[in-house]
Amino acid sequence: MNQNETLKIVIVGHVDHGKSTLIGRLFYDTGSIPEVRYREIEATCRAQGREFEFAYLMDALEEERDQNITIDTASTFFKTAQRPYVIIDAPGHKQFLKNMITGAASADAAILLVDGAEGVREQTRRHAYVLSLLGIRQVAVAVNKLDMVAYDRTRFQQVDNDIRVFLHSVGITPSYVIPISARDGENIASRHGKVPWYDGPTILEALDSFGNVRAEAGAPLRLPVQDVYKWDDKRIYVGRVETGEINKGDEIIFLPSGKITRVKSVEKWGQTDLPQAISGECIGITTDDELFVERGEIISRRRRKPVAACQIRASIFWLADRPFQSGKTYTIKLGTAEVQAVATAIEERLDSSTLEVTERYAAELMPSEVGTVLFTLKNEIAADPYSENTRTGRFVVEEGLQIGGGGIIRSLTDKSGVSAQRINLGESFIVGDEGGLVDLVDEFGSIEFDVTSGFVDYLGKGNCILFKLRDLGQLDPVARLAFQHDLSFLFSRGDGSLNIVMSKRSPHGRLVSDDNGNGPII
Amino acid sequence: MYDHLDDLEAQSIYIFREAYRKFENLAMLYSIGKDSTTMIHLARKAFFGKIPFPLVHIDTTYKYPEMIQYRDRMAREWQADLIVGSNAAAIEAGMSPAAGRLVCCEKLKSEGLTKIIEERDFHGLFLGIRRDEEGSRAKERVFSPRDKNFEWAYKDQPPELWDQFNTNFDPGTHIRVHPILHWTELNIWEYIQREKFEICPLYFAKDGKRFRSLGCMPCTTPIDSRATTVDEIIEELKTLKDPERAGRAQDQENAYAMQKLRAKGYM
Repeated sequence: MNQNETLKIVIVGHVDHGKSTLIGRLFYDTGSIPEVRYREIEATCRAQGREFEFAYLMDALEEERDQNITIDTASTFFKTAQRPYVIIDAPGHKQFLKNMITGAASADAAILLVDGAEGVREQTRRHAYVLSLLGIRQVAVAVNKLDMVAYDRTRFQQVDNDIRVFLHSVGITPSYVIPISARDGENIASRHGKVPWYDGPTILEALDSFGNVRAEAGAPLRLPVQDVYKWDDKRIYVGRVETGEINKGDEIIFLPSGKITRVKSVEKWGQTDLPQAISGECIGITTDDELFVERGEIISRRRRKPVAACQIRASIFWLADRPFQSGKTYTIKLGTAEVQAVATAIEERLDSSTLEVTERYAAELMPSEVGTVLFTLKNEIAADPYSENTRTGRFVVEEGLQIGGGGIIRSLTDKSGVSAQRINLGESFIVGDEGGLVDLVDEFGSIEFDVTSGFVDYLGKGNCILFKLRDLGQLDPVARLAFQHDLSFLFSRGDGSLNIVMSKRSPHGRLVSDDNGNGPII
Repeated sequence: MYDHLDDLEAQSIYIFREAYRKFENLAMLYSIGKDSTTMIHLARKAFFGKIPFPLVHIDTTYKYPEMIQYRDRMAREWQADLIVGSNAAAIEAGMSPAAGRLVCCEKLKSEGLTKIIEERDFHGLFLGIRRDEEGSRAKERVFSPRDKNFEWAYKDQPPELWDQFNTNFDPGTHIRVHPILHWTELNIWEYIQREKFEICPLYFAKDGKRFRSLGCMPCTTPIDSRATTVDEIIEELKTLKDPERAGRAQDQENAYAMQKLRAKGYM
């Protein structure tokens, strides 16, 4: 862990469950309140005739102090011995969900705050669901205000159980459930012996155990084209490597256009000949061929490429003041691409607090509601399912001119009507010492083959080709390929894969077709 | 080894390139301070050494001479298009902090800026503000619209998530873009240390004093310090308890001073 690397945390929960007080306490206990600011708040509180209010630290805007609620996402910074933190405060009031999402979307970790006396409430559940939609996996639950229930163990256990059950239903496993009192400072930075029955970490210890979120390791190359600069007699494609890495000399494909070329150079200012760029880096590349590709396309490799989608099914959370309407055309922004999309159907409308489907094929999603929506795109865009690549599997929807909601992709369909990956058998099999190899282990979803004469000729000369299959679902297209091209195959269980050896004749030398060339005989 | 400064840098470059692609007639507000100077370094990284928009400095005539000398020298070195704006009428009429610090800031800075934006028809401005500077800046978005009167509707800001910014606006909207909003004061100094670009000499201690934040002479107080190098400043920052802008008198006028200034177009 880098000592100077800031961890971004978001604190969410139902209104009045004590977020601002917890934050103020964290500041106070870590000595992170500048003396002047402390005095300023003290003076403000005295002028209003009340006790020192920790909540005022976060509520920097005037209206908030007067109404005693947090209006917008503010960031505040504090430090432990281990590292610096920024807290993105997320307001609890229902109408402020858009600010909460703005804050939470960039967080590394979250604290979900529950009032120990009141227990799990509507916004506790809604916020937890939003955390799961935003892909936040590091979650600590703080059961607050235990001073109000005399630090009762049974009460804590009941809330602990309720929240774990709900979190499980949205796919979150909390790292810790911590009994605290923000007002008394119990289990925030230190223990004061009020909960002798608890032997887990304090809030600060829990936070120190979390890590910064980085791009998923092992994900394939995704480099959305952000802009094209025609400077100094060069055509430079600029963008950020969202996942994977790109190397000088790599063969790359732009999607959805399907154009293929090689990387001539990977560049930054003053470094015009880098060997490689990794996920997170903003770079420029030049290519061997002049392609005239525009902003919005995604650069990948030819294997494990994104889908050129014309239909998207997604979970949508809606934040705008106006309802989201079935049949209406919206602008979707995904990566650097923008596309017009018709909301073909709101297949499910959910209560984001209980997660029950309240309506099927609904006409509208109201503000703060969540639903499953099928979009038909006016032009193709490159994308991935969220489960495979979070960076290229999420998008925002504009309402009017502003961002009105967000979505994560559950499935997508290309223009052939099925979400199939097309595998070109001219290039994707490698001819090595032991014959040809078509590796399908990394291909998700359904597949189809484009057969070339080179492929047929290679087999016709008596060679074998080994197909490595991810699962039995791929057997069907491979068998169909064999049937259509009069080939034989042998099936076996391989090391971590399913192996198919395909040949013109059976590997055991038996005829695979009759004398008239009809067949096959398997 | 890819570290947090690389992350911060990449995020800023991404924001610069996004704004440059989406808006015509951009300019960058250059205050001569370390944050603005860091922002220029990042812009040069984003655009392969170029600064493809003018720099605007609003001169109140109350700046330290070292600041102006540094500004002019660096602008030449960067081959930047530097525009110096001011509210000449107010300066001529003798505006000074004696009329009230907030009044002076609004007249000389906010109105000086408004004038140059109108004269040059800038549609958007890059500003080097950071969320950790003070409360109202913490509530900013990366792409933040201002209406025709350059006012900020901070109570009703659209959401901004997953690096998708609001880039479509009604005609006549003025947009502010904040490429280093997510940086902290310490990050800025670490980055200056790593990248070794030159900053205004007033940041380094002379006779036991140095400036932690630069502004106009009547309203800016140096802090006690022996830090004469970037390394020493980074060590010193770890011990400081006061906020960065404690030496900026206009911030201390009343509890909501900055919020009021900023709602009316202040940086």
